[in-house]
Formats: sequence, structure tokens, C-alpha cells
Amino acid sequence: MRPIRTMLGIALAFGMAGAPAAYAGDEMHMGMNMDMSHMDMSGGAGTGPHAHHHHMEQQKVTRMTADYSVPQIRLVRDDNRTVSLPDEMNDGRPVILNFIYTACTAVCPVTSRTFEQLQDMLGNDRDKVHMISITIDPEQDTPERLSAYARKYDAKSQWRFYTGSSEAILAAQRAFDVYHGDKMNHAPVTLLRAAPGQSWLRIDGFASADELLGEYRKLVHAP
Amino acid sequence: MRTLTALIVVVLLVPGAWAAPAASRGEVLYRQGLLPTGEPLRGTREADVNVEGAAAACVSCHRRSGLGSQEGRYIIPPIIGRYLFRPGLRNIEDMNVPHVEGYRPNRSAYTDETLARAIRDGIDADGRELNYLMPRFKLDDAAMKDLIAYLRQLTSQPVPGVTEDTLHFATIITPDTDPAKRQAMLSVLEQFFADKNSFIRGGHRTMHASREIMYRVTRQWKLHVWELNGPPETWEQQLHERLTAEPVFAVISGLGGKTWAPVHRFCEHEGVPCLLPNIDLPVVAENDFYPVYFSKGILLEAQLISRQIREMESRPRKVTQIFRRGDIGEDAAAAVRSSLLPEGMQVQDIALPESGLPQMVGSVLKDNSAGSVVVLWLRPGDLAALPEALPQVPSVFISGLMGGLEHSPVPTSWREAAHMSYPFDLPDQRRIRMNFPSIWFKVHNIPVVDERMQSDTYLACGILAETLAEMLDSFVRDYLVERVEIMLSHRVITGYYPRLGLAPGQRFASKGGYMVKLAGKEGNRLVADSNWIVP
Ligand code: HEC
Repeated sequence: MRPIRTMLGIALAFGMAGAPAAYAGDEMHMGMNMDMSHMDMSGGAGTGPHAHHHHMEQQKVTRMTADYSVPQIRLVRDDNRTVSLPDEMNDGRPVILNFIYTACTAVCPVTSRTFEQLQDMLGNDRDKVHMISITIDPEQDTPERLSAYARKYDAKSQWRFYTGSSEAILAAQRAFDVYHGDKMNHAPVTLLRAAPGQSWLRIDGFASADELLGEYRKLVHAP
Repeated sequence: MRTLTALIVVVLLVPGAWAAPAASRGEVLYRQGLLPTGEPLRGTREADVNVEGAAAACVSCHRRSGLGSQEGRYIIPPIIGRYLFRPGLRNIEDMNVPHVEGYRPNRSAYTDETLARAIRDGIDADGRELNYLMPRFKLDDAAMKDLIAYLRQLTSQPVPGVTEDTLHFATIITPDTDPAKRQAMLSVLEQFFADKNSFIRGGHRTMHASREIMYRVTRQWKLHVWELNGPPETWEQQLHERLTAEPVFAVISGLGGKTWAPVHRFCEHEGVPCLLPNIDLPVVAENDFYPVYFSKGILLEAQLISRQIREMESRPRKVTQIFRRGDIGEDAAAAVRSSLLPEGMQVQDIALPESGLPQMVGSVLKDNSAGSVVVLWLRPGDLAALPEALPQVPSVFISGLMGGLEHSPVPTSWREAAHMSYPFDLPDQRRIRMNFPSIWFKVHNIPVVDERMQSDTYLACGILAETLAEMLDSFVRDYLVERVEIMLSHRVITGYYPRLGLAPGQRFASKGGYMVKLAGKEGNRLVADSNWIVP
């Protein structure tokens, strides 16, 4: 099933009237048309102390909404419990989701560190959110490895890590359109959803914790 | 063409193991993220997404070769001196530096000053700001000097085993290898090399002087068969001498018995990539870089079986293992033992003499197995001589790898009762993938003596050939290993394995297995007794 994607008023949100429409499909990850398909969010989306930084060339981030349907798969959580992904995602909390693997040395340390910062910034709201990191290297990333990784990033109880069979993990990546053939090819993506049945907000690129926090707040306070 | 390849000189470097120079300060900084002061290297990024120590080490992105890589749409450029201190390459035909994916085509040459600025402040030689993924590093002048000196020499030594017209490879055979297997493996390797070279002579030259074509037509592959002899303590030295006499670029496949550690050490110490598809008892040291195995072999079976025993519904109090002294089962049994002892189970190991009548297994079983789970680390000869009547025990486990997989000759009454570890894909599921090697064996009249071993060897050759083709003429040993890591995960033709995959710190490409039972009274049918398990 192909998710329907619509660009949410980027021009409005970032004061960039006339920005080219960006459909960040698979081709974006293949390195084609990159310049056309990226918006710079660092110019004003953030709300925190770092939002004023001048942007760096590739800290370009696209956001869009998409209707992904959560696949009916079972995964194994970092505490070794087998759980259903829909149940985990429909536990009443908004979801912030990404995909990682523990042997990843370039991209994942950035995205995981950003999640760690986001967790800190959430402060008292932390436990109202469910942060989900799913490995894309399931055979290597056992629950034990994932829980060691969780400790490295000081993950609290609202941030859980998941592995599973190769088939289940593949289904998860396909469902959220982040599958690029193999783990070395993966790109930073964060997905947010306020509640079951609602659309997902998909953010491609290295969004900062500030930006994620801003997006999260907007999403949960949306009327 | 001679001038174009002149840079690839064939001189054997003094190998690290024999004149181990203390790692230079620049190397420690690059690979471990430690400053000359011993403090961790720190890299900063906007919004405090900082890195420290090993996570900041250049190696984690630019890789050990310094030739970079790619993650998603993030291209990580090469940063060896040969790239940095000359203007960016204009095109792929430039033969003076190895071709790599991430080279930056239009950058001016760096100087020591602009390079220091790039590393500290993220501004490249042309004043362009480097992207977010590249951290900005705090380095004092002394540390910067060490680092730049390291980058200047990184991956610029002559490459052994590569001459203007020949690529040299070796395969390693230890003296305890079964002679039939040895011949079976060599028949595959020799045929593969012959194919490769006939393709070269076959007139595939075109008028296109593209770099790719030049690479393909100019070098033939030569195989050196390194047969070791004498006691294992002498093997590393023997290999060192062979390497000195006949420099090779990489080792492709090999066969061994119970002792593989000296060969593993050789690969690691000399910095020779060793692609090892058929080692049933490999060395588990996944932070070593150069030896790459298809599977943990019998040690993977030990993990599978331990896990089955731990998860039995009524937990056994006692486990009895039977193996032959001096065979690889001894090591597997030790692994099971150390996994089950902490669980409070009693583990009894029975070592049969190295050689002896197979019939003795029956009486040993009868005397020792009462009330015990039984694990058999035995070869087909011993399994065929098991008593017809199954002993009254809670469960029997058999090593598939040692016992002959689906061809295992256990007596009828054992077939559907014994649980066999099976660290491969199931026969029905691998059938289509196996068409490729099977047809190739047939076309070349290669007798199939050991299907798994021979198809694994064929697979390893294919992986090597494809990786080298994709590297064009970038003959750099470290880069070969880095590219194999990536190539393996892309492979669709994976022979006996459902999938393969590697990453930095992962040196066993297939990571799981099934538990199976043999089906029916005889023949080679089996049924899965579990899903694919990654223990
Ligand atoms: C987290 C990943 C990462 C780490 C760690 C890292 N780099 Fe980089 N580096 C990059 C990326 C990505 C680029 C490409 C930047 C661009 O093109 O904008 C880069 C670019 C460079 C360049 C510019 C190359 C050129 O052709 O202009 C140099 C020099 C460099 N890095 C040196 C280093 C050194 C030295 C270290 C260790 C002290 C290091 N890097 C650590 C990711 C990294």
C-alpha cells in the first residue's frame, strides 16, 4: 500500500512562500534531486536556544504528512518481551519513531543523541510520549545489545528499542517507507503521530531536538 | 597503460606482526579517538550533538582505509593525503589515486593550514562549509600535526600481491584437513580462477579506454595454495614466510580442522583480508578486522543447542555431551558447558579417544545417559553405529554440521526423535539459490563431494570478484574488507544461507540457524522444528 503524502503548509510554517513542492519519495534517498526536495528548517522552526544558529549545508530537513498503516507484526522489546507493534503504538501516548542499528557509526549516533536530548527537553512531559527506536539489523541487534545501546543514550522508560525476525523488521521498514535495500543505506527519518488513527508527520534529515520538540508540541496541541 | 598502473608497485611491506611499530599517535587519534594526552577526542556539532572518544574517531566515518563510505545520502569522502593535497578529481579516469565513491570532484588542494581549518572549523579548501555530519574537532597544534602526518601516509603504501598484469591470491590448508575435502575445494577455486582468466583472454577488450574495462582486461588472477605442515605453533611463521616469498593481495577460502587460531592471527597481524567461507571452528574475535567468516559454524550450533536446552519446558538437571578428543566437537561442548553451568545444570562431558571403534558410543551412552539430556558432537561414522534402540532420555541433540546435515546416517528410531542443529537455510528454501552453483559445477564437470563446502567456496569467489570489479582498480586491502562488508548485505545469491550481512565489528555473515528433525525412515528429508533462530 502506498501512503498518501501531502506537504503540510511549509511555506506558512517557515515563511518561505513559493518554496518548491517537495515529494520526498524514494528517489530522494537515492541521492537524486536532492536540492529540489529539501527545505531548510533550521531558519526558524525551532523554539529553543539553538534555533538561531545559521544553517549548515546539509542540515536540511523535509517534513510531510503521510498515512502509514501500522503493520500487524510482533517485535521483541529491549526487555526481551514479545509485543505487538500496533499495541505498542496504540498505548494511548503520542509516538515518536525512528530506525537505528547499533553497529551504525555515522548517522545513528546523531539521531540517537538527538532523541536523548529530546527526552531531556520533554522534562515532565516525558512519560506522556512513547519514543520507539526499531533496529534495521535485527539478527545482530539482540534485546541485550539494544538494552546496552539504550543505556549508552540514557534512555528512560518512555524510550524503548525493538528488534524481531528479519521478516517483521522488513515489514516495519516497508510500512513506514524507510526501506532502502540494506542497512548501510539508511537515512535519518523521524516519524511522529499524535494518536491512533491520525496521520504521521514524517521528518527526513537531521532534525534537531529543538525542531522535534516544536513539531511534537504542535502536533499534540493541534485542535 | 604501463604508466597508468605504475603507481601500483609490488613491494612487500615489513609486516606489522614482525616488526610491530607502536601505533603512532596519529593512528591512535584516527582509530580510537584518543588524543596524545590520553584524553578522549571531542567533536562538536550544532545543537550540541557532540561526539567523544571512539564515537568521534575519524575511523567511524572515513573508515580504516581512509577512503570513506556512504550512509544513506550522506557521502563520506576519502581523506587520505593523496586526495586531500591535490585538487579534487575531475573524473573517474584519473588513475593516480584509487577510485572511490565519495571523492569530491571539484575541490582545490588542501594545505596543512586549510586542512587544519577543515578539521577544526569545518571549512574546506575552497571556503565551503562542510556538512552537519562531519563534527568540528578541538585539537591543539601538536595533535593536529600528528593527525595530518597520519593522513599523509594513510593508504599510500605499495600494495602487495598486485602487479601490472596479475592479482595474486592464496588459499590456506592446514595439515589436519580431510584430503577429499581439500581436493573438492581446490577444484572449485582452480576452476573459478581459470574462468576468470579465460574471460580476460576471451577478447573482451573494447575500444573504450574506460577505467573499468582497463581494470577488467589487464590483470589475471593467480592462486597460490599454501599447505601448512607440522605443529600449529609453527603455522604462523610458515604463513609469514609464504607471504614474503609470494606476496598476495588477499586470502580466498581455506580449510582447517580443530586449530584455526594461527591462521586467524596471521590474517590480522599481517593485515591480509581473509575471506573464509568454510571454517567450521573459527576464532571469535569480531573486533579483529581482516578475517571474515561466513558463519560461527560449530560454535553457532553450540549456541543454538544451549538455547534449546535452557528453554525446555521441564528443565533438565543433567546434560551429557559426547565427542571425540581432538575433534571440533570438543570446543563446541566446552561452549555449551559454559553456557549451561551458570543455569545450575550439571554438565557431563565424555571425551572418546581420538580414534576407536564407533560401537563404543552405544555402550558409553547406555552407562551414562540415564535421566540426562544427550548432546552428540559426532561424525557420521559414529552416528551410523548408534544402537538401533533410542535411549530413554528426555531429549537428544545432534550437531548437523558434524553429523552430515540431512545426510546424517543415524538409525531409523533416532531420526524423528533427535533434534539437529542446522545453521543453514532449509533445503527447500535454498533450492533456487543453489541453482547457480549447481549448474556451474555441472557445466565444469566438478564432482560434488561436499555440496555445502563447495558452494560456499564458489560463493566466496563470486563475492570477491564482484567486490573487486566494483572497486575498479582501487586495490587497497582495507578497502576490500570495507567493500565486502557492504557487498555481502546486497547479495541475493547467498547459497546455503538465507541472508548474509556484516558491519564494522561483525565478522560472521550468517547469524542463525534452525532446529530440525530428519523425516521418515530413511533418505535425506527433514522437517523444521523451529523458526530461524538467532541465538
Ligand atoms: C560522524 C562522521 C564523521 C566523523 C567522525 C569524521 N568525519 Fe570527516 N567528514 C564527514 C563527512 C560526512 C564529510 C563530508 C562533508 C561535506 O562534504 O560537506 C567529512 C569531510 C571531511 C573532510 C573534508 C574532505 C574534503 O574532501 O574536503 C576532512 C578533511 C575530514 N572530514 C577529516 C576528518 C577527520 C580528520 C576526522 C577525525 C578527527 C573526521 N573527519 C571525522 C564525516 C565524519
